[in-house]
Amino acid sequence: MKKHILLFLCSMALGSLAAQTYTSTMSDDSSRLIQLKEVLIKSNSKSQLQQLINYYKFNNAATLEDIISRLPEVSLQRRGAYGMEPSIRSFSAGQINVTIDGMRIHGACTDKMDPATIYIEPLNLESVQVQTGNNGFIAGSVIGGTLNMKMAVPDFGASKNISGSVISGYQTAAQSVYEAFQLNFKSGRMAIRGTGTYRNANNYRSGGGQIVPFSQYEKINYSLSAKYQLNQFTTIKTDLLADDGWNIGYPALPMDVGYAAARLGSISLEQLKNERLLNKWQVKLYANTVHHFMDDTHRPNVLMHMDMPGKSKTLGAIFDASLKLGVKSQLQLKADGSSTFLKASMTMYQPWQLPMYMLTWPDNRKDQVGTGVVWQLKTDSASELQFATRIDFIQSSLISTAAKDQISVFGYSANNRIDFLKNISVQYSKKVNVPFKITSSISYSERIATASELYGFYLFNSNDSYDYIGNPSLKNEQAWQSEVSGIFNNKYYRFKLTTFYAHIRNYILGTINPAVSSMTIGAKGVKSYQNIPWANMASLEGSIVCRPMEFAEIASTLRYNWGAADSGEPLPYISPLKNISSFRIKYKAYSLQVESESALSQNRKSRFSGEDATAGYFLVHTRIGYVFHFKGSQFQLQSGIENLFDKQYHDHLDWGNIPRPGRNIYIQTKLIF
Amino acid sequence: MKKYVLASLIIFIASLIACTKEKEQIEQDPTLGLIKITEGYANGASAKVVVYCNNANISTGYTRFYLALFDSISGNRIEDAEINLTPKMDMGTMTHSAPYENPSSTRAERHLFPCSVTFVMPSASGNWTLKVDIKNIGAGKTGSFVFPVTVSDPVLSRQKSFTANHNGAKYFISLIEPTKPKVGINDFEIAIYKKVSMMSWPADSSLSVMITPEMPTMGHGSPNNVNPIHIQNGHYKGKVNFTMTGLWRLNLDYMSGTAVADTTQYFDIEF
Repeated sequence: MKKHILLFLCSMALGSLAAQTYTSTMSDDSSRLIQLKEVLIKSNSKSQLQQLINYYKFNNAATLEDIISRLPEVSLQRRGAYGMEPSIRSFSAGQINVTIDGMRIHGACTDKMDPATIYIEPLNLESVQVQTGNNGFIAGSVIGGTLNMKMAVPDFGASKNISGSVISGYQTAAQSVYEAFQLNFKSGRMAIRGTGTYRNANNYRSGGGQIVPFSQYEKINYSLSAKYQLNQFTTIKTDLLADDGWNIGYPALPMDVGYAAARLGSISLEQLKNERLLNKWQVKLYANTVHHFMDDTHRPNVLMHMDMPGKSKTLGAIFDASLKLGVKSQLQLKADGSSTFLKASMTMYQPWQLPMYMLTWPDNRKDQVGTGVVWQLKTDSASELQFATRIDFIQSSLISTAAKDQISVFGYSANNRIDFLKNISVQYSKKVNVPFKITSSISYSERIATASELYGFYLFNSNDSYDYIGNPSLKNEQAWQSEVSGIFNNKYYRFKLTTFYAHIRNYILGTINPAVSSMTIGAKGVKSYQNIPWANMASLEGSIVCRPMEFAEIASTLRYNWGAADSGEPLPYISPLKNISSFRIKYKAYSLQVESESALSQNRKSRFSGEDATAGYFLVHTRIGYVFHFKGSQFQLQSGIENLFDKQYHDHLDWGNIPRPGRNIYIQTKLIF
Repeated sequence: MKKYVLASLIIFIASLIACTKEKEQIEQDPTLGLIKITEGYANGASAKVVVYCNNANISTGYTRFYLALFDSISGNRIEDAEINLTPKMDMGTMTHSAPYENPSSTRAERHLFPCSVTFVMPSASGNWTLKVDIKNIGAGKTGSFVFPVTVSDPVLSRQKSFTANHNGAKYFISLIEPTKPKVGINDFEIAIYKKVSMMSWPADSSLSVMITPEMPTMGHGSPNNVNPIHIQNGHYKGKVNFTMTGLWRLNLDYMSGTAVADTTQYFDIEF
């Protein structure tokens, strides 16, 4: 019978990614070790990425955005103080997967104000996984990789039946407050974890003292997770997460968010048996909805008031399994399916006239099923081969008459489109000698256009002042990529350097369509999404984590991205050379951290995307911490000054050249009981 | 036994399907969705005339009428008749006619005789009457029915006129489609008439028309419109695209060959 089950599972040909086993950096280091004890090891895994995350998570005041923006592979496109859009090596939006525990969630905002990263607070976060290169597509056919946020799970292993923490903080730049709690309860085979986070920020003060209007926000995030142990090997887990935001300002956009609500739920069954052939599997069912309401009622000089609501609904299922084929060989299988519904509209009001209504995302659905496999093979004691592949069937459809009528305006077909996406990669890693390991991979991957790129209807981009129109006949982007990384590690330090190059065919880009007049008042014109013949991208990432002495730690990351279209023009939203370095000393109950953040100027600007050159900057942040124990509880006090010299600056990826916060003094207390 | 059950089941289902089909075949009332305006007798033609319209309120512009004729004694439908319309506006000091279209055939279409009158002004200026001359082909008799029509101006005019630059003639333009505008591609149809005399308003096919929609409050247009071209009897058909609901202005330029006839007229549509 068990054989049958196994056969059945094999025949489903799933590709698993038991999440943290295959983070981009895991492949370089003792993946077998992590593989064995996934749940127990948790974030103690020793990958470079995890070390960095742990390092930056140490700062209680850090948001998830603060943490991921410090990872060498990740950049953030900033439109406001909140809701920054992550990109991996300058791949963004539909080029990457941004998932929560492997679950797909689609923002409900046509202006990408609501990336999935806003739903996870550091308190909910167990780890961040960035997968690039040879298995970036395993969670879904994309060319740029996957950013997965793994949510914290209820803790069976806690020493007390009830444990938790309470955090309270204040920051001066936006006069913002941050209140959060986390509670873990365990009893017998059951463990429950609940969290709540409240953030409220006013308009922040930029370097030099200027207040940036419409940079305020308020949000509540709460989660409840329950885990029940059915037997020694099997657990059932359910997660609920809700996130509500109000009055979220986007200074770089013409509108703010009045209200945004996300609800996520999932139930999963997992089994872990290390000694078996099928040593681990997981089934997860999930659903989520996002509602999003843009608001311009607080803006001055609004020519015409408009409402822009949007909603997204996703249902999905994921199956992961991991098979030990022998001492030297193992297989990860994954199969998943999902269905995403999207609708967004715009209604403009002119006194004495009927309202002007249109669908900015005509009602559409994306149905996807996919399966992938990763096969790891140790060819000898020092080298390892890894093959990964994934296929996806995706059906994109317009599902209302109004939606089909509207797309016909441009003479496009309203028929369903079905795409078959193929991805394959091979990776080879070799320990050249004991402390040095080199890993190289090549891959071919594809991605389908996003709903905005297929069906978007006069989506205004305030960065280049063009209205964007979708194109349902876009071809899939196809990327050939290669990646080489070297890791050098010993007892005191770990150093990793990665270089990456991608050649992308049918690169999707908005190109000016002179035949169509713009809809948005003040827009320069209309851009239609088109496939340009090709684009090339490259990056260099370096990171070092070291502990030269027992009480001192250094973490430093360096990144450089480069991208060009076939015409030779630079691609938009490419980060210049950036470095974040920090030095931390811990002495008894005290800690002191000095951090520098620097970027060179970016003069490779994308003219067709309305970019301008961006000056470089150098920032210094200082942080101090104090920890003391009191009757079995731990009390942490952290304080610090960010942007110590009150530098006025903005990043190249910031929309509208809106200055970032100036000197920010924060104080944060955390009680762990 | 099972076979019998199966057979009877099949027969039962088949009969159900047959029944449904039969029901579908029952003819719909040809006047469904139409509004009865008036009725009366065409004296001499032995015919009762019932007049239907698409709307209860008749407004200036192209107006379709549907005439149902019945034998005045037996009440049976008259399916063959020659019908001639004469619209007349009595303004006290003068009278004039208007463009009209007689039924295209002497044979009724689904028991009705469709025809049209383009009312070029509202009743406020005088009194409209429509005279229907009927030749009852079956009975070989002729007669007339005259009835008054109250014409009002709609909020957004569907009737425009201009004096052409190139020949000084007066043209009357009626907007026919879209009647139910939607976001997306819409059929666009106008009818062009030329006023030759007070009583002669023939259809015109000599002009070419260019359409440019815009949203006056937003200042933008819409892509992929198709200029109307002449089909028949002064009717021009094209396509108009609306990218959103609201108030749209359809600017129309009229050309006679390379000469500009008019560029001042437009229709407003709000939905």
